[in-house]
Amino acid sequence: MRSLVLEILQNRELIWALALKELRVRYKRSALGFLWALLNPLLTMVILTIVFSTIMRIQVDHYAIFLLSVLLPWTLFSQSLSYAVESIVGNGELLKKIYIAKSVFPVAAVLSNIINFVFSLIPLLILLLVLRFPFHWTWIYLPVPLLGLVLFALGCSFFLAMANVFFRDVAHMLQVILSAWFYVSPIIYSLDFLPARYRIFFRLNPMLYLLNGFRLAIYYGLLPSLQSAAASLGCGALGLFLGYSIFRRYQDSLVFYV
Amino acid sequence: MRVSFENVVQRFRVIRERPDTLREVFTRVFKRSSHYRDFEALKGLSFEVGDGEMVGIVGRNGSGKSTTLKIIAGVYRPTSGMVNVRGKVAALIELGAGFHPDLTGRENIVLNGLLIGLSKREIRAREERILEFAELGEFIDSPIKQYSSGMILRLGFAVAMEVDPDILLIDEILAVGDAAFQQKCLTRIDEFRRRKTIIYVSHSAASVRELCSRALLLHEGALVADGPPDEVMAEYGELLQHAVVS
Repeated sequence: MRSLVLEILQNRELIWALALKELRVRYKRSALGFLWALLNPLLTMVILTIVFSTIMRIQVDHYAIFLLSVLLPWTLFSQSLSYAVESIVGNGELLKKIYIAKSVFPVAAVLSNIINFVFSLIPLLILLLVLRFPFHWTWIYLPVPLLGLVLFALGCSFFLAMANVFFRDVAHMLQVILSAWFYVSPIIYSLDFLPARYRIFFRLNPMLYLLNGFRLAIYYGLLPSLQSAAASLGCGALGLFLGYSIFRRYQDSLVFYV
Repeated sequence: MRVSFENVVQRFRVIRERPDTLREVFTRVFKRSSHYRDFEALKGLSFEVGDGEMVGIVGRNGSGKSTTLKIIAGVYRPTSGMVNVRGKVAALIELGAGFHPDLTGRENIVLNGLLIGLSKREIRAREERILEFAELGEFIDSPIKQYSSGMILRLGFAVAMEVDPDILLIDEILAVGDAAFQQKCLTRIDEFRRRKTIIYVSHSAASVRELCSRALLLHEGALVADGPPDEVMAEYGELLQHAVVS
């Protein structure tokens, strides 16, 4: 793990350059450009709010905030994985000609989405103002679940980026898995909506612990318990450890299959 | 000592039909057939290159020259054996190594510099000299995918020179440049070699004789000759003759 931190530090300028390039390419030639980083979550939220609170009649006060507080971090997670899975295959030509620390690509993919996430907080803040929803002091807690989520996303990204080199289906499977994961996670709903006897299965989902802190701090204005905070950081650390260990084992052979 | 190889073996798995989807993996398991063979590109290669030497590597196509350079550059990790490389390496191994086709020439200078290990500040300080050497004019702000191979060579060489590496690897790519640029490159290489270590792969006997103090002859992954260029080129000549006759 120290070697990962060292690698990231050594290559920090390269990682930053790759992340920015990623963002620039993403919004290149689109008329609205970088505004999409803000519009995307906003539009998704509008649609989901209409569907779930109006058509399906979920009774939640200020459903938009309830939803958005968890939707934004989920987007950070799912987009990080989606970009990371192709990151090594997509840069195959570079890898075959010059030495690059392989970890650079998944890290840059996650970093570009962290930047995107930070920008997407702007429409959330605007929404708070417009709906006159209180801005809780508990927002200050956010770096903690954010760290847990980022670590977990990194771990998944390392694993997926590597797996996709050997089995190109992984990228396709990922989309299906993320779709299912979205519905199984407390994003559109929260755990107390579910009948008690089913909750235990949903508690097996690491996303529960990783996303929990966001909703508590932004929507409820509460600080999570120490166990909850530890659970989210623990999930993150474990995910990173597993994902990176597997990555490290195979990273030297990637160049032959890319 | 700048580069040392000790009994280096590089094996590639040459698969005729590589399963790159899970479905193919499952069919393979049931069919129980193996469509691969192991190809040894380097068979226990050992040599040393000292500081300030300019060594030429010659050999037929497929003898392992590029593989050797790629191992020195860090692109490949050898299957077995010990490799020791001391210092920063700049490689002109393939045209456009370290270049991303969608980025402009200017952006690629930054990327390439970062990849080789310079900081943004160092890159910016050298940018002027790189632009001057490359002579690309206004094309510097167009994406690389629009460049001709000669232009890519000019840019690549300019960056490699300015990066100030300890070890420079050059692999058969100078042929792509026009005579004027080739001359410019050779002059620069000449200035370079007094202070730096250069490993130069070429099929041009003349340039190896002229530039190198020592040459290595590789044949089918093994080191066959190591010594002054004239002797080594003579042996290479014999090898080539055998090939033509048989």
